[in-house]
Amino acid sequence: MKVSLNWIKDYVKIPKILKSSQIAYDLTMSTVEVENTMKLNEKFNNIVIGVIIEVISHPNADRLKICKTDIGNGEICEIVCGGSNLKKNMKVAVARPGAMVRWHGENNFVEIKNTKVRGVNSFGMICASSEIELFDLFPFTKEATIINLSKFDSKAGTPLSEALELDDTILEIDNKSLTNRPDLWGHYGIAREIATLYDLPLVNFKKFMPPKSATNLTVTVKNLLECPRYIGVKIEGLSIKPSPFEIQSRIWRVGVRPVNAIVDITNYVMLATGQPTHAFDFDNIKGHITVRHAFKKEKLLLLNGRELSLSEDNLIIADDESPIGLAGIMGSEKDSVLPKTNKVILEIANFNAISIRRTSTQHKIHTEAATRYEKAIDPERGDIALSLAMQLFKNSYKDIKLTSFCDNYPKHLKKNKIDVSLNWLKKQLGKHIPNKDMTNKLKRLGFEVNFNNDNMQVVTPTWRSTGDISIPSDIVEEIVRIHGLENFEATPITTTFQHATNQINIDIERKIKEYLAFRCKMREIFTYPWMDDNYIKAILQENSKKNMLSLSSPPSPSESYLCSSLLPNLCKAITNNLRFFNEFAIFESAQIFLNKVLKSCYDSQEKLPVQHRNIAGAYVGAPEKMNLLFRTLKGVIEALPYYVHVKQIIFKKNNKPIWADNVAWLNIFHNKEQIGNLALLSKKASLDCAIKKNTVALFELDIDLLKPYSSRTNKFSHILEYPTVDYDLSLLFDLSVKWDEISAVIKDEAYSNKLLHKILFIDEYKGSQVPIKKKSITFRLIIGSPEKTLTSNEIENYANSVVKRLNKTLGAKLRN
Amino acid sequence: MQEKINNILNEGTNKIKKAKTIEELKIIKSSLLGKQGVIKDILKEIPNLEISKRSEAGCAANKLKNCFNNLLKLRKEELFFKMLEIPLDFDATLPGIPPHTGGLHPITQICYDLNDTFRSMGFEIFQEQEITSELYAFDNLNFPKNHPARESMDTYWLTEHSAQKNNSRLCLRPHLTGASIRYLQTHKPPFRFVYPGKVYRNESTDAKHERAFFQYEALIVDHDFTFSSGKIIIKSILSKVFGCDVSIRMRVGYFPFVEPGFEIDMGCLVCNKKGCRVCKYVGWIEIMPGGTPHPNVLRSAKLNPEKFTGFYVNIGLDRLVMMRYGIDDIRLFHSADLRFLKQFN
Repeated sequence: MKVSLNWIKDYVKIPKILKSSQIAYDLTMSTVEVENTMKLNEKFNNIVIGVIIEVISHPNADRLKICKTDIGNGEICEIVCGGSNLKKNMKVAVARPGAMVRWHGENNFVEIKNTKVRGVNSFGMICASSEIELFDLFPFTKEATIINLSKFDSKAGTPLSEALELDDTILEIDNKSLTNRPDLWGHYGIAREIATLYDLPLVNFKKFMPPKSATNLTVTVKNLLECPRYIGVKIEGLSIKPSPFEIQSRIWRVGVRPVNAIVDITNYVMLATGQPTHAFDFDNIKGHITVRHAFKKEKLLLLNGRELSLSEDNLIIADDESPIGLAGIMGSEKDSVLPKTNKVILEIANFNAISIRRTSTQHKIHTEAATRYEKAIDPERGDIALSLAMQLFKNSYKDIKLTSFCDNYPKHLKKNKIDVSLNWLKKQLGKHIPNKDMTNKLKRLGFEVNFNNDNMQVVTPTWRSTGDISIPSDIVEEIVRIHGLENFEATPITTTFQHATNQINIDIERKIKEYLAFRCKMREIFTYPWMDDNYIKAILQENSKKNMLSLSSPPSPSESYLCSSLLPNLCKAITNNLRFFNEFAIFESAQIFLNKVLKSCYDSQEKLPVQHRNIAGAYVGAPEKMNLLFRTLKGVIEALPYYVHVKQIIFKKNNKPIWADNVAWLNIFHNKEQIGNLALLSKKASLDCAIKKNTVALFELDIDLLKPYSSRTNKFSHILEYPTVDYDLSLLFDLSVKWDEISAVIKDEAYSNKLLHKILFIDEYKGSQVPIKKKSITFRLIIGSPEKTLTSNEIENYANSVVKRLNKTLGAKLRN
Repeated sequence: MQEKINNILNEGTNKIKKAKTIEELKIIKSSLLGKQGVIKDILKEIPNLEISKRSEAGCAANKLKNCFNNLLKLRKEELFFKMLEIPLDFDATLPGIPPHTGGLHPITQICYDLNDTFRSMGFEIFQEQEITSELYAFDNLNFPKNHPARESMDTYWLTEHSAQKNNSRLCLRPHLTGASIRYLQTHKPPFRFVYPGKVYRNESTDAKHERAFFQYEALIVDHDFTFSSGKIIIKSILSKVFGCDVSIRMRVGYFPFVEPGFEIDMGCLVCNKKGCRVCKYVGWIEIMPGGTPHPNVLRSAKLNPEKFTGFYVNIGLDRLVMMRYGIDDIRLFHSADLRFLKQFN
């Protein structure tokens, strides 16, 4: 919303020492956010009033003229101009060197300089309205028309901004900061705030009394809840003509285009008071006005030419035949102000905010009027709007008559009474403010204040009683903002110490994430909680959708299902990143949602779906590295308990995940429960995800099922007294023999002799160096005794016994 | 014979001296002393000699062997020391070999930094689930029944499922505040906790608008706590994020679940409050809303608003991270694009 400071000065006298930048700052801090302060006259620097003394033909161009122009202070200069309406003694706008103009209304501003036009010196430019952004105030239809300012009294040399009263500052206010303040949607409301901030008197409107001769205007309001007040005024003796320049200039300055006197006055009243008004052409109204709900599919042709098909909850203004306006939003074409209009019915009505919002949203019509009604403006405001409107009509038309009048306002708005405990107030404010200071400010804002011992009773003004202010906390805010937030010093925060924060269930997620990021070289990603249908199909398959929740209005038709697993989004991220990288590792920790009911632990009425914190990750690389990718990822999960301090993790092969390769998969178990899976992505799933040249190793597990230890779980054992020996063995096995079986045989306690400390897998080899259908497994035995240093014989004997046992149980042979 | 031995000695000594690496030396050693080495050849020839010369030759061969052993040992030591010597042309300016590391999402990084800061001030961390009911998303929070935020163009409502029958609607949480009520309901006052998490709004996206974003709430509820003390919390947050002393100002603002409510601005760090393009020439950047919890919010947590008060702030981490690093497109955060994510360590 744009606010003119000159307009504000109608209602509150602003002392000269108060700068507009200060007002903008104080309003921002205490009332509404002023986004920009624009000094209007800066646009018209170096543009002055000139009087044409003589128009001479240009020697070299038929269309150009040389104008001898008086630009004040006895200075007369020659200006070359192509204007078609140049006349002697005409007052014009002269742009002197340094002025910025839009040449022929073009987009960019150009600086005026003394120059030669077709061989003749020209000392400036005589402007058309479009060249100095005044087209809306001085419209023209014929090309090359320059502004004729002869009707203005100003002398030659007067700066244009002064002559046209454009010496104004415009504050641009962020509408969002006004949403809860219906009282501020007009200049008068802002003036009240300024008056309060600086303790200045505010001008009051005189109450308007209709003349006794006025008859009763018949208006029927069918729905009082949606139209609490309806003032109708029949005014005769009007005509269509431009409004006085002062009105035009004012509304233009705050962004409204002047149309004609009647329309301009209705706009002016709204901009001044925040109360929308509307004028219906009386001659086109058939019978009487009724405020009612529309009939089903009733048609309404709006004044912007659009035809609406109405629904039964749309509130409309109708005559005896048809709708003549969408209540509070826009008038109809047939009953708006027309070229022949000489009688109008001026409507100053109050409509229910919710009804207006619903209708304007339904039909997608957002007008200045609707915007104001949506904020819940108070019905009492009709009084000042009426007073101002009648005053403006009288000033603009000499012979008008108010012939009929009605004011349907059966149920007056109740003011809110709020009791505030002074003791409580002091606690909230953190400091004491004397009663008289509070009273002074609150009274200026329109509140009535009475004290009774510890109690302060505050009665809200009507313009703050439509939902804005209703509880003691609202009064705290009023006091705080008007006294200035900067005047409340930060008081230290005190605390009572009971226990240190210890939240292992919260910390576990961070530990895992930091482990994956910093130890396992993985990169954290964020994705959305919904999945792409293509990836659901690729990873989880179509029939899994029955276990998922969905959105009623999803971000796109193919993204309506919520994540029941993190893998589809992870795979999508892989596909996207494969355009730029061949090898990478990523993970995501996020919530998953299942179509299963869970009772809320907070409210017995509430039933929420099952939701878990999951974590999923992937290593992506070349197909020849598939072993490495799988084993790297397995290592990540194996070592997780060590770094994250949770109970042990073991792997089993119980049920193959649907997206996994037929052999390269494992179920992750923890605390006797399956908590997730680890596998290579199957070839089919890869292709469905458009992953063609890479192998992907994936895991997903449920963080909520991990049981964290309450403390670190490192164990200490004494350092061995006698040395241990590393003994490497390479043995040939059948391809089908698994490492788990080999290590189980070696670890078998019956044979271990207590000499085996540890067994380490080193390498697996298949290929030309070993016989067909065999593989070579290399591992290391770490051998030692707690009692003595082993002799080489003892070591050899032990190693031989291992080989023998492996030969007997698994058919292993030493590789030569 | 002696002559032959002398020749072998000279040749062998030469070879050993010329050896440049320990590997080369090993080969020379086996050519001299190995199974098929020259000494073996000599020893093989001995039985062919006259008996009187045999012992002499044997001695000479042994001498030769010892001699070679000594020379080899010396040369090996020499070479070893040479290997330890760092060549003069060593280029210390070659780029280092980077360790391969992953990393956390930039928003997670800031979130964890803030968690640490708040923990040090005795705050707990609270987490809640992302699907919530209308009761907790709106009703409890003083949103009027017909508030526009409840409409589907602003909130992601779920299609009806078994959990919803005869119950209130479910949605992806549009803000965190609803769930902080859950904390209030299950803990005993006074409280101080932070509540980080993702929230979702149904809007069309562009460089400045996202459907999913990360918020960070801090809430204190206590017997005595004025809004002005909240400044200390805000300063702590911003100083941690930006690593310097930032100036803040509070001004009036409206949010349904606080009263009084404030907009909190941070002094523009780009121009030092003088006014520049980043701050739209006002010197301040709007950074978060805050205020005293609305009495209805306290009531919904069964707390008496006449006895309890508090302070609340809600920080949009996305915007904060964007400002911190000058990121100009909010959609990058959820793009999972490693070209973006790899920049944050």
